[in-house]
Parts: sequence; structure tokens; C-alpha cells
Amino acid sequence: MAVTIIALAAFGAVVIAMAAYGYKISAKTAEDYMLGGRTIGVVVMFFFVLFAISSAWTFYGFPGLLYTEGPGYVMFIWGSVAGFAGLYMFLGPRLWALAKINRFLSPVEVLAERYESKGLRLILSISILAFIVPYIGIQPLGVGAGFQALTGLPAIWGAIYTTVILIVLVILGGMRIVAWVNIFLGVVYVSALLGSLFWVAAVLFPDGGLVQAVSQLQQTAPAMLSDPGPVGRYTSIALAGTFVVGLLAFAWPHVAIGCMTARDKSLFKWFPLLIFIFGGLFFYIIPFVWGSIVAPAAIPVSQLAAEAEAAGIPLQEAADRVVQTVIQRTLPQWFGVFVLLGVIAAAVSTAAVQLMTSSVIVSRDVVQGIFKPDASDQQITAWARWSVVVIVILSLVASMLNTGAMALYLTDVSVPGFAQWAPALVGGLLWKRGTRQGAIAATVAGVVYLVLSLLIVVDGNRPLIIGHPVIPSLLVNTIVYIVVSKLTPRPSEAIETQFFDEVDDYLRAESGS
Amino acid sequence: MREMTRHWPGRIYLFLLLLSIIGFIAFLVVGGTGVGPDGLPTIVFGWMTMPLVIGVAFVIFWLITYVVYFFFFWPYR
Repeated sequence: MAVTIIALAAFGAVVIAMAAYGYKISAKTAEDYMLGGRTIGVVVMFFFVLFAISSAWTFYGFPGLLYTEGPGYVMFIWGSVAGFAGLYMFLGPRLWALAKINRFLSPVEVLAERYESKGLRLILSISILAFIVPYIGIQPLGVGAGFQALTGLPAIWGAIYTTVILIVLVILGGMRIVAWVNIFLGVVYVSALLGSLFWVAAVLFPDGGLVQAVSQLQQTAPAMLSDPGPVGRYTSIALAGTFVVGLLAFAWPHVAIGCMTARDKSLFKWFPLLIFIFGGLFFYIIPFVWGSIVAPAAIPVSQLAAEAEAAGIPLQEAADRVVQTVIQRTLPQWFGVFVLLGVIAAAVSTAAVQLMTSSVIVSRDVVQGIFKPDASDQQITAWARWSVVVIVILSLVASMLNTGAMALYLTDVSVPGFAQWAPALVGGLLWKRGTRQGAIAATVAGVVYLVLSLLIVVDGNRPLIIGHPVIPSLLVNTIVYIVVSKLTPRPSEAIETQFFDEVDDYLRAESGS
Repeated sequence: MREMTRHWPGRIYLFLLLLSIIGFIAFLVVGGTGVGPDGLPTIVFGWMTMPLVIGVAFVIFWLITYVVYFFFFWPYR
């Protein structure tokens, strides 16, 4: 116990010291606090984004679902890798150039100015906050579960510890230090996840490692090694739907805002290289191997189900922390503490970026954009800082009310919600003909359809969901956007010049072509 | 992306990416990640299951096309 407390204290001290240093060196301007002064280079950006999207979900939810339902859920990862790379290849340069030329501080502000609409600014802000805030709270609660599994103390202490670190980091550090801290957190995270995988494989499967584990599964649970998986969930349609949901990762607001922090245009040329090689071909394979091969070979699902039943908890809840359970039963206790630090790192790295994004939207788009347009730079920075506390409290309450599987909350609720601003975003950046009326009508229609489709249950089924919650709602959203835009007057020439011609000229000038 | 649609290399690049997405989905729909004709899961190199193999192949395809286009043809390179 003493080792655990010392390790947690040292880890927290490092993060808080970095946040304090960030506060000391910051320029104390809104641009510096919210976008790191637009000075993030490619390496920091890579850690910033990769670990912003690799949360406690990657440690718990993702392997947990692979463990109970087979390998089909990995299609979400393959879609996400393409989606994140696509954001930086297709939309990123324009979003970055627009924000830099016009000093925009949030992606919602970009679209509000593009469509010349305060109403749209409010609608987008509310809809993004509504889907991002509950997801923030999942992170500390996820850590709480791991904390309980390791120490036996109530989960709430782990959640409180993570929440305090998170609040101090975001309030003091701002976007630049959140990005820098992600390098430290990412190193801890990868070391814990990969180190534990190698060590556990060496201890449990000494005669061939993963080959031995797979061979064992072929004998005992072959359904774990192919689709549709042991419970038959991943049919062809479900696999394709999961992949498409992953592709929509380009619309995650806390990832999109990263484009606006870039130092220069060359970042968009190099960034996808890191995402493909380090993200797609290395990092995401680690939790996949954990959840679909090592964990089920180490602890058969039937055994964990029996243990869960005896403990009075659902199987999925036990499965969500199966990686930590295997580590605890196999490796020395001190390494379990290191793994817990890895989980905390994963949780903080994601929640901090989501929290930053939420506070920027609250301060810049809701307070200044709608209610107090003459607010000073200092005032909006102060609002952004203090809104962090309110957002954290709301997110924890929302997460405690949600009792579903961690992995499915991301893919079935958050991602469909994030996707509802995608047509307005893509159309606003790439399609001159997209109009204010089209963007407002589409976003409202998509969000309303999504909420209704999740709420209306008839005989245990949700009749408005076709395949996956995101598919019909996004389809409705996109069709409404195109049709209404075509039926309403095209945007003014001034908007076309500002949002298309000037951006093209700027990007051409930046590349010397 | 607007700059990509204005020249042939960009159009070919976008077409290839679209084709890879359609191909990936088609592979899933025809049951490429299910069990083989013998009723057993297909395993590559003794440990890679098909959902992993197909994903790695998909990412490598995107990686190669991206390197070729962004480092040799992208107008803003």
C-alpha cells in the first residue's frame, strides 16, 4: 500500500509541476491558453492527438469488449485510423489556415463565422457539449475501477485523485501544457500496456508466446478468433457499421481543435505518417492482442463469468478490467502499481483535451459568442478556466448515471453525437454552396433524430435505429444539409472570398507554389 | 481536399482511398473475417487473426498511397 501511495504522489507531483511550469511561461492570452499560441509542432502534436484519443477506454473498454464478444470490434480501430488521418489530410490544412488568418479560437467559431449565424453557434456548442461532457467523466470513473481492483479501496478515491490532477492540469496549464504532458503520459501509458503484455505472455505462455496462446484458444474457444465472435454479435452488417463509425473519427471535436494549434502547414504533411505507422501498425494492436488473445487464454470467459456472478457484478463490468485482473494475478504487485499509473495517464491525457475543448466552447462560443461579445481577452480566459470545474462536476454526475459498457458508450452514444456536426463542418470548409439554413436545419434534424432513436424503445428494440445509431441520424443530417442548402440563397461573395479564395491563396503562399 | 480534386494525381489518390474503403467493407460483408471453408478460424503467422490481418493490410495500403501522393504530388507539399 505504501508503494502505491508513494507512486501515486510522485506521479501527481510531476503532472502538477508541469502544469505550474506551463502557467509560469504562458503568455496569459486567450490564444495561448486555448490553442497553445498556435505553436504545436509535429512530434508534440502526434502525442497530443494519439493520447487524446487513447483513453482509459483503450485499456479497459476496448479489450473488455473484445474479451466478451470476439475480435469484430477492432473494425472501429481500422476506421478510426483512416478517420484521424483523413482529418489531417483533407480538412486540417484549411481549418488551420482559416483559424490562423482570422484568429479564430474554436472550430465552432469557424463555422459560426462561415455560416454567419449566432444561432448555429449556440446549437453546435450545446450539441457538442452534450455528447463530450459525459465522456469526460468516464475517465476518472474508469481509473476508480482499476484503483479498486489494485488496492481494494473504494473506487471513489481513484476517481477523486484523477479528477484533482485533471482540474489542476487544465486550469493552470492550458492547451500547450496539456499537449506537452501528453508526451509524458503517453510514455508511461505505452510502457505499462506493452511491458505488461510482453511480461504476461512470457510468464503464461513460455512455449511460443502469442502462438501458444492462440493455439490454446483454438482448442478451447475457437469462436474468439474469428467473426461473428462467441455471442454472434459481429455479423457482416455489424462489422461494416462498426468500421463506418470509426471513419467518423474525423469529426471528434477534441481532435479537430488540434488542427488549429499547429505551428505550420508542414505538420499536415507529416502527421498522417505517424498515425499510420505508430498508431495503426503498433499502438492499437497492443490492446487488441490483450483483449482478443492474451486475456481470454489466461482467464477463460466462463471462469470470469462465474467469478463475476459470485461477486454480484455484470460480466461486462468484470471484463472491462480483465487486463488489470490478468496482470494482478500474474505479475508482481509493484508492476500492478505501474500499470495503474498507465491507466491514470491514459485517462488524464484524454479527459484533459476534452476538458480543454469543452472549456473553450463554453467560454469563446457560448459566453462571449452569444451573451457578452465585448468580453476582454482576460475575461474569456478566466471563464474558460473556471468552467472546467463545472464541466467536471457535470461529467461525473452524468457518468455515474450511465451503467452501460464503457466501450459501447463511446461508439453508440458519443461518436454518433460528435458526428452530428460533421456535415456542417465538411460542407463549411469544402463546399461553397453550403448555407446557414442548411447547416442549422441539418444539425437540428440529426441531433433530434439521434436522441429520439436512443430514447424510443418498443418491445426492447429501438425502431428508429437502422444498423447503428449514427447511420440513420447522419444520413438524415446530410440529406437535409444538401437539400436545404440547394433551396436557399448561396452565401455572399464576401464569405466565399474569406473562406475559400483567401485560404487557397494562403496555403499556396505558405508552400511557395 | 479541394486542392486534390483539381489535378489528376489528387483525383487518383482520392479514388484509390474510396476504392479501399469499399473493398474493405465488401470483404467484411462476404465474411472474409469469419471461419474458413474447413470451419476453423484462419490464423496467419501462428497468431494473427483475420480481423487483425485485414486491418493491417488496409492501413499499409493507406500508408503507401499517402506517402506517394503527399511527398511527391500534393500541391501544398
